[in-house]
Amino acid sequence: MRYPSRRSVLRGSLAVAAASTFARPYIARAQAKTAKVLWVQGFVKEEDEAFKKMVEDYQKASGNTIDYSLIPFGPAMQKIVAGLTSGDAPDVMFHDIADNSVVPQNAWNDKLEDVGAVVDSQKAKFHPTALRASVYFNNVSKQRHAYYVPVKIGVLPFHVWGSMVTKAGFKLSDAPTTWDAFWDFFKPMQKKLRESVRGVYVHGLQPTTTGPADGNNTFHHFLIANGGYGILTEDGQPHVNDPQVKEAVIKSLTYISTSYKEGYVPPGALSWNDADDNNAFHAKQIVMDLDGTISTEVAMFHEKEKYDDVVTMQHPNDNFGKPMHAQFGVAGCFMPKGAKGAQVGKEFLTYVIQPEVQNNYLKTGLGRWLPTMPDLVKSDPFWLKEDPHRTAYATIGMINPTVPNYPVFNPGYAEANAQQVWGLAVADIVKNNMTPQASAEKALKRIGDILAKYPVAQS
Amino acid sequence: MTSTQVLGADDFVPRRPTRRLWRGGLQGSEYAWALAFVVPYIALFLAFVAYPVVFGAWLGHKPELYVELYDDPLYLQAVTNTILYVGIGVNLKMFGALLLSGYFMRRSWWTKSLLLVFVLPWAVPALPSFISIHWMLNGQWGLLNNFLWTVFDVDGPGWIETSRGLALGSVIFSHIWKWMPFWTVILLAGRMAIPQDLYEAAEVDGATGLRRFAFVTFPLLANLYLVCTLLSTIFTLGDFNSVYFVSGGGPALSTHVLATLGIRDAFEVARPDLGVATVLSALPLMIPLVLVLMRKLRSTEVSL
Repeated sequence: MRYPSRRSVLRGSLAVAAASTFARPYIARAQAKTAKVLWVQGFVKEEDEAFKKMVEDYQKASGNTIDYSLIPFGPAMQKIVAGLTSGDAPDVMFHDIADNSVVPQNAWNDKLEDVGAVVDSQKAKFHPTALRASVYFNNVSKQRHAYYVPVKIGVLPFHVWGSMVTKAGFKLSDAPTTWDAFWDFFKPMQKKLRESVRGVYVHGLQPTTTGPADGNNTFHHFLIANGGYGILTEDGQPHVNDPQVKEAVIKSLTYISTSYKEGYVPPGALSWNDADDNNAFHAKQIVMDLDGTISTEVAMFHEKEKYDDVVTMQHPNDNFGKPMHAQFGVAGCFMPKGAKGAQVGKEFLTYVIQPEVQNNYLKTGLGRWLPTMPDLVKSDPFWLKEDPHRTAYATIGMINPTVPNYPVFNPGYAEANAQQVWGLAVADIVKNNMTPQASAEKALKRIGDILAKYPVAQS
Repeated sequence: MTSTQVLGADDFVPRRPTRRLWRGGLQGSEYAWALAFVVPYIALFLAFVAYPVVFGAWLGHKPELYVELYDDPLYLQAVTNTILYVGIGVNLKMFGALLLSGYFMRRSWWTKSLLLVFVLPWAVPALPSFISIHWMLNGQWGLLNNFLWTVFDVDGPGWIETSRGLALGSVIFSHIWKWMPFWTVILLAGRMAIPQDLYEAAEVDGATGLRRFAFVTFPLLANLYLVCTLLSTIFTLGDFNSVYFVSGGGPALSTHVLATLGIRDAFEVARPDLGVATVLSALPLMIPLVLVLMRKLRSTEVSL
């Protein structure tokens, strides 16, 4: 028999230790039924409490563990991008603007897990636009698949300080019912208000390039109001040379840049980030703001006087007198392809989108976001009857006509959004003295060039 | 037939076995202990230095990424901004530091007290400082414009919000404010190392004031000044904080430098490969600087 030497014992022990380092996590994860979840922090603390409660309830009901991280909006996107690039992403990721940014491009590159079974569990109840926003084109399989689980909805209502309008001698009930005329209605208020307050502006327009979302959202609503929604159609094909689209772009750029140049928009709006318009509104430096969700109002929920002073308004008709289509932001969840915790992750998501769970989660979060299911909004008085802010907001999102964000159709548009093409187009007019026509042509060419990199097959 | 092989003297010199040479002359357990000490360092080096560098280079290795960058008007503007930011920022800062280090050589107690106050911007954390400057420069409700309005009844400009020139100027000013104290202290230390008798000899020869600086101080400080300028250039080329937290790259993305544009491309545009390519494109400028710096540091003719 050969006796082990001191050296062979040491060598063997080291080998076992090294092997167990690699083997242990896999065994632990497989047995523990755990999913790692990255979720975006809420705008108010109630949203985070609602999420924690939902996780707690799920863990009790399932026996699984949700190992979650609540991360602020900006850093969360960085972690998601870094995780998907390095191949070390959490099992489930949630982001408020994922449909507009990271999901279309990663679906295109075949980096996401198919979550069709999760979406199908509530397919009949989802708002059609939310359902459309769950499906993205995969450039490897050359087909569209469900990669995105809609969790909540955001649209852009108008937020108006009622007391400032009254102080200027106007009544909101007199506001015109078409898009440009509605914006024009506020212009004369500025002169009256400046008689007593320095540095007040009427338009919370956001011709910004800082983003990530508000500048694009503002422009797209002008584009829709001017008949240019068809710049990118549902089949993913661009129409940047369509005369109707070009005319709508020119009209939209003209309105926004003229309002800026005439001094109805704070000069700093060129560099606003997504929170700066909220800050300016709360400081009463702007009379009205077109901004996503009712975070503006919810942030003042515990200051009743201010909360009640804000009027949340629905959209007027478009410039042709037809009902305005609101662009529909879908906040939701997605998973990296081959996620180790895919099974638990999918179970968790199936739980999250159950109507009752979803409704409780969003109600506890003060109704800043809307449910993904119209029936929930219609059946629960919380959404349409108990609070005027929520009534206007839910009507825009769940009752009135809506359209998905463009990147749902073609991931190239996510890149165009990130490149802030429309904000740069406004800046070309107001800073570089370009004409709206020249600026529109430059922007459309840039978008055409970007979309050309993403040839979506006709489907 | 037999042949006789003649052995030379070298053949009798005992040879060290190749195996021992490879082991650095260590024997038995010495070698195991040496390995045990060096393995953690190698593992850390591989994990935290080699792997990120190789992964980054792999991410940005495709030539078409650089074509895409060249076609992006923002990239070309960022290159210009980087040159302006580094060129103006570093040189103004170093020249100011050179002059101020002379001032702080004075021996009065209040000069020493002033030095203490002067180094404060360097001592405080960078991010809160830059964020404070960002808010101070806000056109609508910033401290500076409110001061101009209250005292002079003047509406100040949108420092970082409407004009590229003002925004880039604000970024350069913030950079100088933050880092000039550090380099002043370094150059002050250099000045203090100059032997006093050289000045006394110069004074005997009639060299005072500017001539003393030109013929004694500057020649002796020149090498230190050059090394400091090269180091500062390398640091500033990769500086993200000053630009990101003061101007945010605005207005209208016009003040981005390569470091901030790289982060924007990687995380906002969600194109990490493009972001890495943006940053890697600074290497042709960075590598010669590092080479010159290394040569300078190896030089035996150091003045101080």
